Amino acid sequence: MHLSSLRSRWIRPTPLLLGAAALWPLADAFLPAGMQVIEPLRTVFIYAILALGLNVVTGFTGLLNLGVAAFMAIGAYAFGILTCEIYPFQIGFWPALFATLGIGAFAGFLLGAPLLRLRGDYLAIVTLGFGEIVQDVLKNLDGITKGTQGINPLPGPTFLASASEESGSSFFGLTWRELGVEDSTAWYYTLWTLLVLCIIAVRHLERSRTGRAWLSVREDELASRAMGIRVDRVKLIAFSTGASLAAFAGALAASGLSSTGEPANYDFQISILAVCIVIVGGVGSVSGILVGALVMIGINSIVLSKAADWIAASGLSSSDNVLLSPSNWKFLLFGLALVLMVHLRPQGILPPSLEDEPGGDEA
Amino acid sequence: MKKSTIVASPLAFLLVGSLAIPAVGGDLVGTLKIVSSLPRTGSANAQTTSIVNGIRMAIDEVNGMVDGYTIAYEDWDDASPQRGNWDPAVEGENAKKAARDDEIIGYIGTFNSGAAKIAMPILNKAGLVMISPANTYPGLTKPGLGEANEPRVYRPSGTINYFRIVPTDDLQGAVAADWAKELGATRVFVLHDRELYGKGIADVFVHHSKEIGTEIVGAEGIDTKASNYRSLCTKIRATNPQLVFFGGTTQTNAGQIVKDLRGAGITVPFMVPDGCFENAFIEAAGADNVNGSAYITFGGLPAEEMTGRGAEFVKAYVVKYGIKPEAYSAYGYECCKVLLEAIRRAPVKDRAGILKAVSETKDFDGALGVWSFDANGDTSNRTLSGQTVKDGKFAFVKVLGRSDAPAVSPAATDAAK
Amino acid sequence: MTDTEVLLQQVITGLSNGMIIALIAIGYTMVYGIIELINFAHGDLFMLGSFLALTLLGALGLEAVEGVGTWATIGLLLVTSAGFCGTLNVVIDRFAYRPLRKSPKLSLLVAAIGCSFILVNIGLFWGGIPMDVFSMGRAAAAPKNFPNLLGHDNLLGDSAILLTRGDLLVVVVTVPLMIGLTMLVRLTRLGKAMRAVAQNPSAAALMGIDVNRVISSTFFIGGALGGFASVVYALYNNTISFQMGYRSGMDAFTAAVLGGIGSLPGAVLGGLLIGLMRAMSDQYIAAHWTNTIVFSVLILILIFRPSGLLGFKLREKV
Repeated sequence: MHLSSLRSRWIRPTPLLLGAAALWPLADAFLPAGMQVIEPLRTVFIYAILALGLNVVTGFTGLLNLGVAAFMAIGAYAFGILTCEIYPFQIGFWPALFATLGIGAFAGFLLGAPLLRLRGDYLAIVTLGFGEIVQDVLKNLDGITKGTQGINPLPGPTFLASASEESGSSFFGLTWRELGVEDSTAWYYTLWTLLVLCIIAVRHLERSRTGRAWLSVREDELASRAMGIRVDRVKLIAFSTGASLAAFAGALAASGLSSTGEPANYDFQISILAVCIVIVGGVGSVSGILVGALVMIGINSIVLSKAADWIAASGLSSSDNVLLSPSNWKFLLFGLALVLMVHLRPQGILPPSLEDEPGGDEA
Repeated sequence: MKKSTIVASPLAFLLVGSLAIPAVGGDLVGTLKIVSSLPRTGSANAQTTSIVNGIRMAIDEVNGMVDGYTIAYEDWDDASPQRGNWDPAVEGENAKKAARDDEIIGYIGTFNSGAAKIAMPILNKAGLVMISPANTYPGLTKPGLGEANEPRVYRPSGTINYFRIVPTDDLQGAVAADWAKELGATRVFVLHDRELYGKGIADVFVHHSKEIGTEIVGAEGIDTKASNYRSLCTKIRATNPQLVFFGGTTQTNAGQIVKDLRGAGITVPFMVPDGCFENAFIEAAGADNVNGSAYITFGGLPAEEMTGRGAEFVKAYVVKYGIKPEAYSAYGYECCKVLLEAIRRAPVKDRAGILKAVSETKDFDGALGVWSFDANGDTSNRTLSGQTVKDGKFAFVKVLGRSDAPAVSPAATDAAK
Repeated sequence: MTDTEVLLQQVITGLSNGMIIALIAIGYTMVYGIIELINFAHGDLFMLGSFLALTLLGALGLEAVEGVGTWATIGLLLVTSAGFCGTLNVVIDRFAYRPLRKSPKLSLLVAAIGCSFILVNIGLFWGGIPMDVFSMGRAAAAPKNFPNLLGHDNLLGDSAILLTRGDLLVVVVTVPLMIGLTMLVRLTRLGKAMRAVAQNPSAAALMGIDVNRVISSTFFIGGALGGFASVVYALYNNTISFQMGYRSGMDAFTAAVLGGIGSLPGAVLGGLLIGLMRAMSDQYIAAHWTNTIVFSVLILILIFRPSGLLGFKLREKV
């Protein structure tokens, strides 16, 4: 392997972005209290995982899914029911988290199996409808899901840590320690690691036989069929993978807040947000997803909220006039940003061509 | 945390400037920051504006100074444009941001009880006092009324840091049921918006109505985004009720429901909880549809009926903002006032000192009457009032107290100091 | 009320609601037919149309008109809102969509989502303008009462079944529009050009059709129908809010797909079916399951008819 190829390997956007993210908390500590962004970045990671799943469906396979929020909700609620102390299961963070991967995949399979033969936008409306159905079911079956109350508290990730004095049982000086929602840095690195694992997994799938079949189906379904690719099966795998990652993201989001929130928190707007992340970042591009998630979440949690703080601090705001209240401009600025971004970069901020091509490093 | 103080100070000065407070007075000891975390983006912003007006007024009344400390206030948004509503992720971020910023000594919020569930444990561990102007889900404070693990799960540190100045659903729902019976309704149709607040009140309403012998002829959860409720109103018409109760708010379409009821020729009284005690409700419903036939319950006395501090609040509010205060303005004002008062009383002006002072609030004379915080962090104020609408304006009908009600759980009375 | 009366009443309600949905759905289906874009901004465009109507009522002091004046006022509102929504739709297309014609379809979708957010915000600001007709209009985000120009009178006299002038208005406005539109698409030169562009834009351009002009016309007509719908909606429901575009848009989009997206009669059929399903589910099942019922039926229908009820089975391009 030549030195130059090693170099180009390291200036690829995905490792660069992930590396920067890994170092960020060091810099964040030096920012003043109101300016730290480690919390919004946690949200960015979760949405990146969600969008990574959607990217498999929309980016690789070319199917528009407008209902990922439903799978996120399924993941969150499954995680809640499996871990919360008010239910009998209480299987703990890690088993439940990985169970949601399977549950999400199964839900995706159930919806996808009869419907994946629908053409693009018909599938889109079906997924949209599924999103509405899931919300309704979660709200209405309140005997199981607690309805609009949400399920809480939910456990955080547990790690083996050196036993402190107050902890009762220890095993060779080690004991299980659970992260609370306020353990920001530990949570941050947990999510970072899980995101990296998801990226690696998706990359592997992309470069596998299935992955090549996805791209082939996206480019030309008819030709793929002619080449002997079992299109329906290939689509179904993509759809289930996407659903699985969405459920995983939902479980992480719920655990990070120690609450599933209410069913309405997983509405169409979230699905739309995920679609925007994928498209603004660059359809089919993993580094694009990372940038897309950063931009789409950051625009509110970092840019708009800080801007609103500054405007309020400068005394320009007034709650009497609807135009002078900075928060009243958020929809407009968010919408404008979306329009401008697709106009400036219709292929996305980091389209796949800038990335290493699938199967590009046969090292 | 030294660094943060240095950088934040200019910001605090700017803030003080923005409140148009003369920063003279010499002995500037330091800055104490209060933040509110309320939905600012989307439909709930209307109520939030009322609340924040109340908060700002309370701060302006003391010229932004308590005991030589400058009171800085930041108005945070817990909603996001992506959601168009309160956003759990943003509420979580707000709570953690507040927990980490040592200057912040008081957290006013949240609007939605669901958001409170997220913020409460975080702020509890940080020892930061949280006062809500709007949460009514009983389980947040009252043992035995929510899930089995509530409210313990919100108090991981063991101390109580969460307080609220509004009566909870269990009280308001029961009072409303009593009032409906008093109005002569023996057959009631109950609607709710399938949200935590609306459904909570409606459930209590149904439960208590059955206890007192009112027949519930139907109960339905509505789709709050529907364009109209004509088909539902036909269904209601067929059951021939004597009163329709809706657990919900202006934002969850109370106006459209009453409009469609009247359109379907159902002219029986329409009763709603305090989420509709705002002019926007009459505005949305159309005065003709509610004049003399809408009944609204509210936790406290309305502005006109207040004496003492309450009357002063109303007068000052009208001078400052040019309109009469809404229910939520009074709630916002009361939250901030009780916090400022606690800051004044606290011997040490840190989180622990102020938290302790808030929890010791007793016989507080404020805009909602004279009240104390009980051992659960709930208001002792059990006075509710009933309103109707006359000539497109709210008109006070009567006090709806329930001194006899066993709504406070035994645990609370036992623990009372 | 007897059971039959209840059923008939629900049919009336369902059809009226369905027709309004159908009118909005046509706007979706036309734009989709011609540039294959799910125009997410359409519902919010419709919302702005009703705000314009309310502002006009207030500004001209027409909220208390009677008799012939009522119908003249309604005519004025219909024409203005339709013109406004049509023009605005053309402007949106010109600045937000046209530059992206050659870009991936999905970037166009994001542009539409972005426009939807912008229009929602404009509606929020609009609601904050102090106006006499918003009786105490300071709460920008609150739903606004739209004066009930038509009254509650029952056209069927003392019958237990209510048929209001609102129901009548829906029919009087939507049916001629639908017939007119069908004729326009079938019989006029513009209609022919529209169909040609929908079939194959580059071939149409080669045949001398000004594709951009045809697309603009489509956006105008689609938007104008949204404008008509907005006034009918406002007069029928008497409440407007800056967020109403969301549900109306979703219903209409569902209707368009149910009927077969791209098909005008399909959009109408889809709208009527959704209106009826909602009414029946509210009455005979439970209001809180209505959405689930509607979308489950949609999914079932699409399983058996993957191109919607009246959609063409498109030959896939190779």
